[in-house]
Amino acid sequence: MLSSYLTLAAILFCIGLYGTLAKRNAIIVLLSLELMLNAVNLNLIAFSKYGAIPSLTGQLFSIFTITVAAAEAAIAVAILIALFRARGTVLVDAFNRMRR
Amino acid sequence: MDFFAKIAWIIPLVPLISFLVLMTLGRGFRKAGVWIGSIGALGAFVLSLLVLTERLKPHAVDYSYNFSWISIGEYSLRIGFEITNLTALMLVVVTLVGLLVNIYSAGYMASDERITVFYSYVSLFTFSMLGLVLSDNLLSFYLFWELVGVCSFLLVGFWYARPAARAAAKKAFIVTRIGDAGLLLAILVLFWNMPGHALDFTMIESVFGGQGGVITSGITTLIALLLFLGAVGKSGQFPLHVWLPDAMEGPTPISALIHAATMVAAGVFLIARTFPIFEASPAAMETVAYVGAFTAIFAAVIALAQNDLKRILAYSTISQLGYMMLALGLGAMTGAIFHLFTHAFFKALLFLAAGSVIHAVHTGDIREMGGIGSRMRITAWTFAIGALALAGIPPLSGFWSKDAILTAALTQNPLLFTVGLLTGFCTALYMTRLFVLVFLGKSGSAAAHAKESPRVMTIPLIMLAVFAAVAGFVDLPWSGWLSTWLSDEVITPHASIVVIVLSIAAGVLGIGTGWLLYGRGKTTSRSIANWMPGLVKVAERKFYIDELYEILFVKSLRVVGICLAAIDTYIIGGVVKLTGAAASAAGRLGLRLQNGQVQTYGVAAVLGVVAIALVVIGRRMLS
Amino acid sequence: MSGLEQIPILSIILLSPLLGLVIIQLLPGQRANWLKIAVTTATLLPLALSLWLYADYDRNQGAVSYSETYSWVQAPLKMNVGGDWFFSFQYAVGIDGLSLPLLLLTAIVTAMAALAAVHVKKRRKSFFSWFLLLEFGMIGAFIARDLFVFFVFFEITLVAMYFLIGIWGYYNRERAANQFLIYNGIGSAIMLIAFVMLVNTAGFHVIETTQSLQYIYSGSYSDIIRNLSDPSAYVNLTADSIGSNPFALNETKQWAIFILLLVAFGIKLPVFPFHSWMLKVHQEAPPAVVMIHSGILLKLGAYGLLRFGLFLFPVQAREWASVLAILGLINLLYGAILAFRQQEFKLVLAYSSISHMGIVLIGLAAFNEIGLQGALFQLISHGLISALLFLIVGSLYERTGTTELSRLGGLARSMPFISGVLLAAGLASLGLPGLSGFVGELLSLLGLFESMRWVTALAVVGIVLTAVYILRSVLKITFGPQREGLTAIRDARFVEALPMVVLLAFIILLGCYPSVLTDTVQTSVGGFMDLLLATRAGG
Repeated sequence: MLSSYLTLAAILFCIGLYGTLAKRNAIIVLLSLELMLNAVNLNLIAFSKYGAIPSLTGQLFSIFTITVAAAEAAIAVAILIALFRARGTVLVDAFNRMRR
Repeated sequence: MDFFAKIAWIIPLVPLISFLVLMTLGRGFRKAGVWIGSIGALGAFVLSLLVLTERLKPHAVDYSYNFSWISIGEYSLRIGFEITNLTALMLVVVTLVGLLVNIYSAGYMASDERITVFYSYVSLFTFSMLGLVLSDNLLSFYLFWELVGVCSFLLVGFWYARPAARAAAKKAFIVTRIGDAGLLLAILVLFWNMPGHALDFTMIESVFGGQGGVITSGITTLIALLLFLGAVGKSGQFPLHVWLPDAMEGPTPISALIHAATMVAAGVFLIARTFPIFEASPAAMETVAYVGAFTAIFAAVIALAQNDLKRILAYSTISQLGYMMLALGLGAMTGAIFHLFTHAFFKALLFLAAGSVIHAVHTGDIREMGGIGSRMRITAWTFAIGALALAGIPPLSGFWSKDAILTAALTQNPLLFTVGLLTGFCTALYMTRLFVLVFLGKSGSAAAHAKESPRVMTIPLIMLAVFAAVAGFVDLPWSGWLSTWLSDEVITPHASIVVIVLSIAAGVLGIGTGWLLYGRGKTTSRSIANWMPGLVKVAERKFYIDELYEILFVKSLRVVGICLAAIDTYIIGGVVKLTGAAASAAGRLGLRLQNGQVQTYGVAAVLGVVAIALVVIGRRMLS
Repeated sequence: MSGLEQIPILSIILLSPLLGLVIIQLLPGQRANWLKIAVTTATLLPLALSLWLYADYDRNQGAVSYSETYSWVQAPLKMNVGGDWFFSFQYAVGIDGLSLPLLLLTAIVTAMAALAAVHVKKRRKSFFSWFLLLEFGMIGAFIARDLFVFFVFFEITLVAMYFLIGIWGYYNRERAANQFLIYNGIGSAIMLIAFVMLVNTAGFHVIETTQSLQYIYSGSYSDIIRNLSDPSAYVNLTADSIGSNPFALNETKQWAIFILLLVAFGIKLPVFPFHSWMLKVHQEAPPAVVMIHSGILLKLGAYGLLRFGLFLFPVQAREWASVLAILGLINLLYGAILAFRQQEFKLVLAYSSISHMGIVLIGLAAFNEIGLQGALFQLISHGLISALLFLIVGSLYERTGTTELSRLGGLARSMPFISGVLLAAGLASLGLPGLSGFVGELLSLLGLFESMRWVTALAVVGIVLTAVYILRSVLKITFGPQREGLTAIRDARFVEALPMVVLLAFIILLGCYPSVLTDTVQTSVGGFMDLLLATRAGG
């Protein structure tokens, strides 16, 4: 039972990881990040229900994560908009000014 | 009883004080400079004379005192002074010539703006030379030995603005320093071989003069040869004679004091002081004798073909020092010292007289002189006395000392005796040539306005002439007073009619030949040049020794320098550059990874996690 | 005698440049005179105190004097064996016959360099700040009695030198500063490795309290010397209480540490293949800084070599004596021949320093009292002489704008005083008796001759070469016809003449009366020799 949840989470996580590392569009990268977070949430909930010591902590923690993810997404999108205004693009490989 | 011997350490301090006072006064006080320098020399002379008179009493005991200069654990390097008959004699010679040169310089250097500096250097030299003479051990001897070298260097380069003077000063210092290296090594060898690491002359005498066995004969010969190398450098013996003629770039009084009478004789004095070492090594004695004899004839031949007044005298000095070395090599230590003693007077006289001439005609080239004799009578007469003494005409001093050496040679080594006679002949010949070309004959181009020098210069000349004439009587062949006094042994008189006759014959023959060749108006050296052109050319060029050294040492040093510089720039510099390049190449590679793309970093991180996971799992699987 | 023992005299000497540094920060940067007065005072104070200390030092007693030790941090260590284990960082200073002359040298040269720094025009305030920091570092390194204290002060000198070269140097200053930092950084990294290895094995002592045994690790010299010189006691001690001896410094490790130290301080000295950084520094750094660099910092390398290389590992060093001697010979000859080729006076002096450091190595390699004394004498003597020479270089450059030999000549006419001092310094450098250089050379060669005759004979050749290159360059500058454009220059001002006279006076003093130095050093060197003889007898 547990393993099928975990497999799904793992697949989701890998898709997210792929998107984060390989996509050039910053919006897609953000979406992929959210996907990875959700994969983690799925794991937390699965363990809280079917884990060795079932408890509510996992579910509470996933709510907490969702909150943080929302805040993070808000900030990220805000930065992204600012960047778009400044540079006229949302492609991540254009954002390498910190290098110098 | 030996009061003055006990306070002999004051003698060198008197000129040292003069030096210090002159240095602090600076260039301003010109008159005062002359007085301070001369008074210092006079004080030293008076004290030396007192010491000598004390030594003349029978059974004077040698006095020495020393103190520890550096003491390291069980070792101690000492400095001290010693009064023996030999040192007392040298003291008087040095201070007397020094005093006369000081007086003479007041006239000779009168127009030089740095006369005070000149006097301070001369005072420093007198201090160092007296210290050298008084030293009771080889180490303090070496200290002063170097100091006289540097004073000589300073004075040769006194007119520093001339490139020739600069080159000569440098050459004088460096060539003698080669010899000094020998002396230093000799000291090192002695230090580690002598019982108790002693370096003093008394100990040397008792160790080497004894039955031997303490020091092996190989080491003894090594020490003797190294000491001789030092003497060769200082006394201008072949092959290190090249600096002495060039040193004539210095003021003439200096040539008289340093490069004729005192410093160059220090080499002879060194061997005399360490004579027991040489006596213990027949091979070293032979080397000394042959090098001395060769130098004597070699320099005399060169002197025949030179045209510069002072250079001729310089070669003559080299030749006479060779004579002294010859005497030492034959074991005639007292003969060598006797010749040193007389030579100091007549050669100083010749140089000062030459200085008087140069002062009057402003050139040193004898081809431009001629007929000066009638204009400068005192100079001419005193020069004549010096020249005759040098040529070995009795009863002047040079004859007696040469006679002592030749007598020693005849009994031991006929070959060296012949060389000695031949040198005597050449000496007489070149002195005649010199005298004739300078003082007699037609008036030369530079001689027209020559005037006799002021009295301050002629009086020292006259005094030296007196000494040059009579100094020989202290050791007549049939009395041998000086030899007895110096060696503390009863010397059987060594008079030999054969030697006396042959020696006079060589001198007279030389003068006669010279008169024939140059006397009757033939004012140039052409006559010999036509006779045997090759030899004259070679002698004029000083047997190409300077050129040879230029190639052998200067050029080769330069080539080694170029090679090492190439190593420095290309190999060491190359390795350094390579290391730097490798570091920056690695840096550039790292820079590639740092492309500012978070995604790239992320990929690297993921790959890292995967790798770690694989390792962890792999280890699990294996164990 | 007793008065100085009561007060923390070494700390006062150490802190006085730091105090000067603080005072300078409070002064307005425009007031050049105030700055100069403050810096001079801050450097003269250690000079006066160390002179006093030198006179006060008890020459007969070889042990460390005036020592001060304050514990700073004691970090507990977790060990699986009985007792309490600590790692102790401490502030420990003290002097013996080895460090006292070098401390005095530092004080003299720094004070003179501070006077010579009148030529500095740019950013005076920060120049003097770095300058005082440099002095702080040097004094600290010489009086340190703990490896880590030494290391920290050593690094301070590097940082200060880096900025002094990089900001106030000549045309290629930044390159020179970088090269300096890289070489010396590598050197100190190697040194740190060696130090850590040393502390980790030999640097401990045991305190027995009523409750337990306390094992304390620290970099204290005395602990390390004691543990290294008496390995048997050291083994027993650990073996008894621990059961086995995990800290033994076996042969391989000893060799490793010795060679690491040799390389680390060899770079600083500099020994033959590691010398190229030092040429750049001599050429590019401002003269007042080179005075310190050539006069003191090179000596720091030799000091480290002696203090850590030889004194801690006498057996290894003795086995490598011939290596040291040959390295010294190479330095001597290589430096001399290359000095002969240079066209730039500063480079002549740089190669001359390499050559003279060769004599130091030769003296060390002798492995007897005379040689060691000679090496130390040469250190002090070369410190004074090269400081004097670079002082003159500074004055020359200020007047003529060049130090190229081909563009100088005949300066004796327009500046007789400086030329005279230059000549005297040159003569001192080539080893004229009566000046300090001679004594160092004589003692080093005398020492080496006992064991290595042929090397000594070749070294004597090197001394002849020294005369050649010194005279060549010095006479080129002072003698000869005057050059155009160099006729109207003035002789030394008072503020320049003063340090020249002082340095020359010390050079003459040491040359005529060397016992003033050798007697101070004697007890320390003698102690080392006893130690060496003991280890030889034991092994």
